[in-house]
Amino acid sequence: MILKLSIHPKPLVEEALLRRPREVLELEDLRLWRDYYFELPAQPAADALERLRSALEDARVETVVVGQPLAEHAVQVAYLRGIVDNENDSLVTLCRLVGVAATAARVATTYTSASPELAERVRGRLLNPSIEELHLAEPGYTRLRPVGEAHEPARYDLRELDDAGLAAVGREGGRNLALAQMHALRHIQRELDLAFLTDVLLEAADSRWSDHCMHTTWLSLGNLLGRLRSASANTGNENIVSMFEDNAGVWRFYDGWSLAIKAETHNGPSAVSAYFGQLTKIGGVLRDILGTGLGADPIGVFEYTATGLPTERAPDPERPSPTQIAVDTIRAVKEYGNTFGVPMMSSHMTFNTNYRAKPFALGGSVGLIPTERAGRRRPEPGDLLVLIGGLTGNDGIHGASASSTGSVMDHASVQIGSPLEQVKFRQAILDLRDADCLRALTDLGGAGLNSGVGELGDPGGVWLNTALVPLKTSSLPTWVILLSESQERMILAVPRERIEAARAILDRHFVRNTVVGRFTGDGRYTVVHAPETTQDDIVAGAHRELAGDPSTGFSVPYELLSYRPPQITVSPVAAPPGQASAWPRLTASSPAQTLTAILTDPEVASQRWASSQYDSTVQGHTFYGPTAGRMHVATSWWAGAPLPGTPRTVVLATAFNPWLFEIDPVLATRQMFLSLLGKLVLAGVAREDICLCDNFYTPDREADGFGWLVAMVEELGRLVEAFGTPLVSGKDSSAGSVLTAEGLVSVPPAVFLSAVGKLADHALLRRNEWREPGNVLVRIGPDTSSPAGTVAARALGFAAAPRLDAVAPEGYLDYLRALAGAGPAIVSGRPIGPGGVLACLALGAIASDLAVELDPTTAGIQELLHEHRCGAIVEVPERLLGSLPPALAPRPVARLLDGPGSLQLARQELLEPAALAGWAQAWEASLA
Amino acid sequence: MSVRVNILYSPGTNCQHETAYAFRRVGAEPRILALSDLLAGRARLQDADIVCLPGGFAFGDHSGAGNVAAWYLRTQLQAQLQAIKAMPTICICNGFQIAARAGIFGAVSLATNGSGTFHNEPLQAHRVVQENQSFWLAGLRGETLRFPCAHGEGRFVFDDRSGWSPALLYPDGENPDGSSEGIAGVTTPDGLMLGLMNHPERAPHSPRVQELFANGVRAVR
Repeated sequence: MILKLSIHPKPLVEEALLRRPREVLELEDLRLWRDYYFELPAQPAADALERLRSALEDARVETVVVGQPLAEHAVQVAYLRGIVDNENDSLVTLCRLVGVAATAARVATTYTSASPELAERVRGRLLNPSIEELHLAEPGYTRLRPVGEAHEPARYDLRELDDAGLAAVGREGGRNLALAQMHALRHIQRELDLAFLTDVLLEAADSRWSDHCMHTTWLSLGNLLGRLRSASANTGNENIVSMFEDNAGVWRFYDGWSLAIKAETHNGPSAVSAYFGQLTKIGGVLRDILGTGLGADPIGVFEYTATGLPTERAPDPERPSPTQIAVDTIRAVKEYGNTFGVPMMSSHMTFNTNYRAKPFALGGSVGLIPTERAGRRRPEPGDLLVLIGGLTGNDGIHGASASSTGSVMDHASVQIGSPLEQVKFRQAILDLRDADCLRALTDLGGAGLNSGVGELGDPGGVWLNTALVPLKTSSLPTWVILLSESQERMILAVPRERIEAARAILDRHFVRNTVVGRFTGDGRYTVVHAPETTQDDIVAGAHRELAGDPSTGFSVPYELLSYRPPQITVSPVAAPPGQASAWPRLTASSPAQTLTAILTDPEVASQRWASSQYDSTVQGHTFYGPTAGRMHVATSWWAGAPLPGTPRTVVLATAFNPWLFEIDPVLATRQMFLSLLGKLVLAGVAREDICLCDNFYTPDREADGFGWLVAMVEELGRLVEAFGTPLVSGKDSSAGSVLTAEGLVSVPPAVFLSAVGKLADHALLRRNEWREPGNVLVRIGPDTSSPAGTVAARALGFAAAPRLDAVAPEGYLDYLRALAGAGPAIVSGRPIGPGGVLACLALGAIASDLAVELDPTTAGIQELLHEHRCGAIVEVPERLLGSLPPALAPRPVARLLDGPGSLQLARQELLEPAALAGWAQAWEASLA
Repeated sequence: MSVRVNILYSPGTNCQHETAYAFRRVGAEPRILALSDLLAGRARLQDADIVCLPGGFAFGDHSGAGNVAAWYLRTQLQAQLQAIKAMPTICICNGFQIAARAGIFGAVSLATNGSGTFHNEPLQAHRVVQENQSFWLAGLRGETLRFPCAHGEGRFVFDDRSGWSPALLYPDGENPDGSSEGIAGVTTPDGLMLGLMNHPERAPHSPRVQELFANGVRAVR
């Protein structure tokens, strides 16, 4: 039977819970409550029911009602019936503790209002149809655990099919196998002399050879990754511990420890459900860190999201709007990062119309690992294949291959994240590592078991029995089990003699664990569905006799699974030569009005509404960033000291500006690269102590898209070699074009760069905030004075010719050397970014709570709008002005006075209350 | 004499290491006890000089912040719950929520913040109540301590004043969650147990804040 209990908040709490929904639905009389459903074998006794009611109720703030059906003027939002609720396990546990024998549970939310538009508004503004359903009447559940489905693997004989037949099979059922890949599959069938191939193999190949797993676009363009790898290797930097070979790059830290760094994107899923897409991007990248070497511990997380303008709708009406994506992003990032217990290092959201069809959803993390445990590890024959974490369901099917195509995205491609599962195995993995229970491990993300197991078993060989995989549903087809992207799962290679110790550790942490196969040494990737083979059989080594019928899956030598995509010859694209455009004469507004316009631009305005919801202090080692000052101004870098009791410091910064990539992707790449190095060197990090992570996000259906990509990779490779700063990790997403109802919408060819540096002592860290009245503020660094792509052009509404400044790398190397040698002459420094010198000075004044008096020789407000992105405004004691090296190109621009925070030009206050209020509130207001 | 501190680690707890470090810095010997160890009889919370329920999201805060962990204490670990009520105990953030749901501080609740969402403030101000004589607050009374606030359900509400005494207050205008009367932390009437939503363990470079932990250690040494 199904039992329903509704938790009604009392007014004090209800007001808080209703704040956002009332805004979104524009219904003043809106009420809401949560409904819990429990599946029970029989009606519980009255006293047991009362215990459960009491256990769910916090009597001071809520009232529990038993068996309240959905009434008139009420609608209920619930997960689709095929989705298993994240709260299921905890709710079943709670029932057990109070003596109620529940077998499954789920949660829903009911909204009531007298408005006849209630259902329509909830459906249009709150409901995500890809994962949720709207009930206008009591749903009448008869069971809560999804039934699932099961069928025998489909069989295909490819041997005699022509290209048309092969292509049809390749596209059947949502697969994205290209004709060349179907040729490779036909070759496998012929080589192995098989009567047929199963859909299990076709699906496995589809994901294995997808862009997500194999980087086929990059490979087809001439091994672009190889170019970046070789450039990084050519730096000869001795801090590199592991580079492009593991789930994260590893960078030598201090005292026997190293740092793992990784960033990845969930653009496709976030376009369908921003909440779950962004939730799983954070979860996924944290799992990458956990799966590095023999297990690294995340010490921080960072995130960046670009979506369309808040005033826009999604081009496809089925997709969430940019505003919904923004709001759901904040909720998701908050829920995953905070629950996992990892401090937010940096977060930022950009509104740019090119991301209205498919957002840029990037998540990154830094982890800590003993150096001796770093480096990619390989299982040995006989090691047990242990699946840990969450259950496997039918969520995220075709996620890897669909996210690789960009134009097609079925709703099942969304994964459902559950942070609790991952928190549980986080500490368990570290304990397994330290107890020598691991030979290797990896996370399960895109393409699920197929990717994780298939890669870990390559080339030695692995045997997987999908019948042992614990499911969310009663049953699932083999290929779905293999490809499911259900989250919060990892695969371990455990030496057989350590399996009992491993199980004890996992059980201690409440981590579900199952032996699902073995590493074989036969060089084959084997997947079977053999219900008769038990975990004990595998542990005992008897699986050879109970191996199951390969026709339930496949058994293919790894060498036959190698695939090289057809090569595409593309020449690098370059922007047409031309002069950078001049600035128009800005006469329409006063300097104070101009500053207000700049400070209220979404790129400059405070994003405190979002950042205040992200835990920045958990783990207790953050000592700088991600905001500073009474007004919580975003800092240009983050710093933490993750080794307890030592001053050893990690510094992180990022760089991305889509407006520049729209104009000239190559020069934008250069400006971002240089600005990033400039930030960390200004922070006090030595250039050779900096490593980078790249995340390319490029269009696949634009005429010059691939040409720009090749040119950007070439540029980045040259810069890495010229500056000796290696990339240690990276990811490419080459599906940035979406065919929508309004036509093709593409993101610009772009690369997001993240940098991690190390400092031996946190006392060496420079901060952004000005410190001493009387000191002089000096602009340093090269000019990038083109108005193209600037906040000023957008905020003040003028057009600029699309030309970017070409900063000379050689000169910038001299600049960095001079900056590194400046020592105490530079007290603090704030890099110049969006909004130019003017925004930099204003934000510095706000963050420091000091007055800034602009140099009286300042010609006018206009020159302060220049975005000299590779430079900075630094604070210098007047007596040391002369000691600044010429290579810094120092130009005094202002002087610090006693506070409070203000910005004055010729005795006129520019930072008026309206400007300050606009800066503080504009961003949140844009999402209202 | 070494001072032993037992720190409860439930599935979803995520502040156990920095909390252990905070105790270690003031000379204690912290030990992290998994809930599974308690359930299996391999360890007991009360086998120490001080007990700590640290922060996190035990059982994902499903069915209410701290609720499932609290019901473990109220049912399968009832004897241990009774035992620690007679011991110096500090309950931080989720640990405070667990303690509240377990009835340690009487008829109080920690409800959803007035803003309706999580609030992060690295330098949250707390005024130490002058009148509270708990050893946890020794030498700190009347001071304003700044340490991180990071919670979504910390709004202190109460039915009556039995079972608790105010220990920390938010200064006027700096109440991050809408707590009644600005209450940021409480002790049991006997002063043995301290509960607070915010995180003194995350301020290792603030000697005054670390006095909260040192006070606990001094009291049992």
